[in-house]
Amino acid sequence: MALSHIFSWTFMYDFIRGPMVWISFIIFFCGVVFQVLRFMSLLKEQPVKKFEPGPGNIIHSQTVSHLKGDRVKTRWFKKGPDKKDWMVWLKLSIAGVNPFMTIVTTIFHVLLIGVPVFVLGHNILLDNAFGISMVSLPENVSDFLTGVVIFCTLIFLFRRLFLERVKMITSYEDYLFLSLAAAPFVTGYLAYHQVFSNYKLLISLHILSGELLLMAVPFTKFIHMIYMIIVRFNVAGEYSFGNARKNW
Amino acid sequence: MFRKKNTAGVNSNEIRAILDEKKAKMKLSLKACAHCSLCAESCFLFMGHNKDPKYMPSYKFLNSVGVLYKKKGNVDKLDLGEMRDLVWERCVLCTRCYCPIGIDIPDMLALARRICRSQGVYPQYDRE
Repeated sequence: MALSHIFSWTFMYDFIRGPMVWISFIIFFCGVVFQVLRFMSLLKEQPVKKFEPGPGNIIHSQTVSHLKGDRVKTRWFKKGPDKKDWMVWLKLSIAGVNPFMTIVTTIFHVLLIGVPVFVLGHNILLDNAFGISMVSLPENVSDFLTGVVIFCTLIFLFRRLFLERVKMITSYEDYLFLSLAAAPFVTGYLAYHQVFSNYKLLISLHILSGELLLMAVPFTKFIHMIYMIIVRFNVAGEYSFGNARKNW
Repeated sequence: MFRKKNTAGVNSNEIRAILDEKKAKMKLSLKACAHCSLCAESCFLFMGHNKDPKYMPSYKFLNSVGVLYKKKGNVDKLDLGEMRDLVWERCVLCTRCYCPIGIDIPDMLALARRICRSQGVYPQYDRE
């Protein structure tokens, strides 16, 4: 195979939509599995001291009885924390302290994963290749949701540029990975609307950026996707989910 | 920023040895930090100092352990002095900071304190 053929446009295009997709998916899945296994090997089960009331133990039911005074007084059908407790809990949570950012990040992260899975174009490709028929969003809905993702990215960008507290801890990496996360959406949006006449170039940029994003997940800052799930569900602490009882 | 370093009195090997003890946790935590600044409001010192970003848990974490790791322990007394202010004056290790991703910030700041202490840099309350 001649060198000029390898660097030719048709070869690159075929490579990006052919073997490169497989390579990026294999790197993504193997990388995620590797990182999860590595994480789990770093975490060790910790002996948990259970605090149970009784003589000789740390918590003595009589000495702490004043702590549950309120609970005793509540009526029998209202045994759990009442509405006021929930309001206090919500107010102190990150959603109460920073509601705008919470909404924006939640929408962004849900759509970042959800939209590519349910876009009609991707599912037609899946159907053509493997005969897998997936549920898809209507085209105008996924188009709107792509716009929402791009809008959320812009909010993140402006936060990084103009909010002092974010600016202070921002490094060039943050801009790089923010643009990498946005790139498949921007190029996909432009390609769908055929903004530029060169559709083929845009769609190959779309595929390429998606592949780069997938390959970057297990090894770069995007690792917070794995880190968050593993740490919050496994490492014991007051902010952990479920009965996490491991430690580093 | 590009001042000449005078590394007299600082044992970089010792710093590296301490960093290596918690290498995996520290590296992964530094990598996973998305620099989102959502931890800010959970710090009472941040709230108490007119929301000064220098009191943000992530700022303290990135500028103590982050710098030590990035420079592989090649820091001088001036750097460690700044770090001393960061980890003792601006943090009381109350462990109230909340990271949405789950980074153990207090442990990282305690590590920075340990490294500063190993190099003889710590607040001397009886003399200051």
